[in-house]
Amino acid sequence: MHLFVENWGFISKGLMETFKLAGVSLLCSTIIAVVLGTLSVMRLPWIGRIIRGAVELFRAVPLVVNIFFFYFVAPTLGVDLSPFGSVTLGLSLWGGANGTEIVRGGLASVSSHQWHSARALGMSTFQIFVSIVWPQALKSILPPYAGLLTLLVQGTSLGALVGVGEFLKTSQIIVERTTVMGGGSPAFMVYSVVLLTYFVICSCISQLSRRLERRYRASAWVAKPLGVSLE
Amino acid sequence: MFDPAYLLAQVPALLGGLGMTLLLTALSVALSLAIGVAGGAIRSQRVPLLAPLAGAYVEVIRNTPILVQLFFLFYGLPAIGLRMSLFWTGVVCLTLWGGAYQIENFRGGFAAVGQGLREAALALNLRPRVFLRRVAIPIALRVSLPSIVNTSISQLKNSSYLQAIGLAELTFVALDRVATDFRALEMFAALGVLYVGLVFALSAAAARLERIMNRPYAA
Repeated sequence: MHLFVENWGFISKGLMETFKLAGVSLLCSTIIAVVLGTLSVMRLPWIGRIIRGAVELFRAVPLVVNIFFFYFVAPTLGVDLSPFGSVTLGLSLWGGANGTEIVRGGLASVSSHQWHSARALGMSTFQIFVSIVWPQALKSILPPYAGLLTLLVQGTSLGALVGVGEFLKTSQIIVERTTVMGGGSPAFMVYSVVLLTYFVICSCISQLSRRLERRYRASAWVAKPLGVSLE
Repeated sequence: MFDPAYLLAQVPALLGGLGMTLLLTALSVALSLAIGVAGGAIRSQRVPLLAPLAGAYVEVIRNTPILVQLFFLFYGLPAIGLRMSLFWTGVVCLTLWGGAYQIENFRGGFAAVGQGLREAALALNLRPRVFLRRVAIPIALRVSLPSIVNTSISQLKNSSYLQAIGLAELTFVALDRVATDFRALEMFAALGVLYVGLVFALSAAAARLERIMNRPYAA
């Protein structure tokens, strides 16, 4: 245990880097998801199909390949991308693709009666989205979105492979340093603690997701038209 | 900039990596399906002691990064004297990860087997094992097939994490070439085409299987 006390400054720096990666990727993913998700339920010719194709592509390619792609290919195209930048870009596009699916599903779950009624009242498309559809869709969007956040947090560990000094990387360095300095490998203990740390962070978010789901299911009648049976 | 001749010369190496990826995926999908059926049945039957254990296993796997699980298996376990070959570390890692998700998939499937069927089986004096094999599993399989396939496809994609421990699967082979020849574009094009092709082919095959399985029984 003294290993963690001695290296606390180093570890906390790594944890901060992990939170920074997760935070920035969450922000970028959300912007992508809101814009593309909204566009894809608007029944615009072509645009829906293009978005669909891009989403499918980013979901089919393994996240590892995705991140290494930006890490290795960006320099050959003359773009100077830091390891932090390539992980953020890879995670954001991957998270954005998955988020777009969640948002699209959520917006599509709002009954078309809502659209027709709002139109009949003379509301504009923008008004309908902002004050009618999105508030109702949020109930089915937020729980899976919290699930996506845990996956983003987990995905930040890939930073260790391209040399971002995040939590897993710092732990790896501590293991190597201690092994080299003699006294046997602390790998078992260190990686157990790393697993536990991620577990605590992600369980808290999962718990939030579950709580949101329960709360929204209790008030689901608000979002659904009368006569539709509830689960 | 993009050199097709270079790519062509690398085809044998890439095919070797692809073979390893497919082998790893096939083995771990099969093993995690076994875990899924057993764990799903245990959780839905609420077997004392085993059910909470299975639940804890699922929670741990789902709430930790697979890369950290891999490092734990590859660096952590040997430190306390548990050694596995590179290949089996990879298989165990993918299997444990997929097993947790398959337990949840099968649990959902078993939940769809109605109480009425259970009572009917009891009235017909079916032994629990016969009920499981002839009634519960066929129904659960049909209900949870889409999510089972999803998990299996994720296992295929996650096999790329194994490049981190130096297992020579598809991603490792390609990145190894990138590191020696600096021809990133060709290699990533090949990786993209192969993974996307495999994933789409598997989804199409699964959709077909789903159609076949959901056909009503002929008298």
